[in-house]
Amino acid sequence: MTASATFASSGGDNTAPGGSIVGVASSLAQRSLVNIVRTPSAVVPTIAMPLFFIVAFSGAFSALTEIPGFPTDNALNWFMPWAIMQGAAFAGMGICFGVARDLENGFYDRLLMAPTHRGALILGPMAAASVRVLLPVVTVSVVGFAAGARLTDGLIGMVTLVVAAEGFALVAGLWGLGVVYRVRNQKSSALIQVGIFVTMFLSIGQAPVALMEGWLVHVARLNPLTYVLNMARAGFLGAVTWAEVWPGLLAIAGGLVVFGIWAGTGFRRMVR
Amino acid sequence: MSAAAGTTLAPPVEHRRDIRPFAQAMALAGRSARSTLRQPEMWLPSLIFPLMIAAVNNSAMARAVNLPGFPPVDSVLQFLLPATIVQGVMFGAISGGSDLALDIQNGFWERLVASPVSRPAILIGRLTGGALLGACQTVVFVAIFALFGARVDGGPAGVLVLMGMAVMVTLMIGGITAAVGVRTGSQETVDAAFPLVFILLFMSSAFFPTALMSGWFRSVAEHNPLSWMIDGARHQVIVGFDASEALQAVLVPAVIAVFTISLAVRQMQKRLERDS
Repeated sequence: MTASATFASSGGDNTAPGGSIVGVASSLAQRSLVNIVRTPSAVVPTIAMPLFFIVAFSGAFSALTEIPGFPTDNALNWFMPWAIMQGAAFAGMGICFGVARDLENGFYDRLLMAPTHRGALILGPMAAASVRVLLPVVTVSVVGFAAGARLTDGLIGMVTLVVAAEGFALVAGLWGLGVVYRVRNQKSSALIQVGIFVTMFLSIGQAPVALMEGWLVHVARLNPLTYVLNMARAGFLGAVTWAEVWPGLLAIAGGLVVFGIWAGTGFRRMVR
Repeated sequence: MSAAAGTTLAPPVEHRRDIRPFAQAMALAGRSARSTLRQPEMWLPSLIFPLMIAAVNNSAMARAVNLPGFPPVDSVLQFLLPATIVQGVMFGAISGGSDLALDIQNGFWERLVASPVSRPAILIGRLTGGALLGACQTVVFVAIFALFGARVDGGPAGVLVLMGMAVMVTLMIGGITAAVGVRTGSQETVDAAFPLVFILLFMSSAFFPTALMSGWFRSVAEHNPLSWMIDGARHQVIVGFDASEALQAVLVPAVIAVFTISLAVRQMQKRLERDS
């Protein structure tokens, strides 16, 4: 209570008695990352599932590239960025599961009582997600390139892929935090995953819009993730152009704003 | 009055011992099925997710049916029907094993073991409950696919084969999840088995014909028993009823089910020895 009063008195100042917002956020991010080493099983989905996806999708659906109009003849070039984006989703969701665990075991109450800037409680997990996403980026890239994936416009293609993965991990993380702050237990994980996977499947993950038929064409066009995936794949399907990059960046920025508000309002409702 | 009712509802122990194991197993199967039906969060995902994946694939891979080597089908949905059924019943079978682990966690298992219930009935009851639901799920999937124009060309006989396959797949997966559930007594561990089962399904002909795969993946898919089973079932859907294909669709999971159920029985014996 005293701590809350102390915190409240700090107003909008970024330096609360417990430390600066950046300092606290980085400590929380470090704690989240240390958990990767301490409980490797928690991070398995972030690495193993994207690896499975790249193997399974490029193996099972390799013949899709033979359909006239498919943008590449190399299935790995199509599915590797898709698998990395799935890893990015797991990275974002993973930190939310950690927050849900902290809420259940009472650790989060102690964080709330501490004289720290509360913004750090959202920034910390986000910082952890932005580091954690590098795990699938590195592992899937190593496997993908070793198996035959090729950049078609030099390293700029990797840059757009990493930016897309980072952006998607942050948006997924904010979505998940918003759910966790509202549900306040580990059962929230199912809802978080359903939201993300439905969004992923209703995009151009498996096939380009031009080759789709029926209702999915319209849904995929309206799905912002389609544009992020276009940006992620740009360097694997030809030259990276601004026309492919800016819609992706806009979709990420929009997602950060919308789900930032979603997470922020959830947090405020929880601590009220 | 209440004493009289009590007498009617709870016959003497000696009398209850006379109830045959089959009747006990059926009573437990009924409990298992009712318990699942009362919790929509348990059966709804096993209907919704496979249907959603089928709907997405139907649109995303619509033009794949024109590829040389793709079996002659009316639509991708028709091709995907067996895979959708298998996915759905796999979900259900895993939650069956998961329930068994929960019975151990919450003490219901101990009460069952302490009661004069035949030991095999505990396991058979749980698996039969899941298998009955698997058969019902198949009918639901077939009906929904038919609404969207994906019919079973094998007619009622073909549908029966699909139901038989679903029952055997439920027993096959239920057997292995029950073995894990009884051994670990942890619902979490059983739930963690789902991705492994899904990987096996993906590395088969479930979602794409093996003839259009290449390299080592094709070789794995062609040697995956799930492919043999699904190809047999798919024949009933896209070509018509064929006895030898039907046998393949039902016998492959049945043989594996015998193996997984014996594993579960072995684990149950070990747990009973440990607990006694």
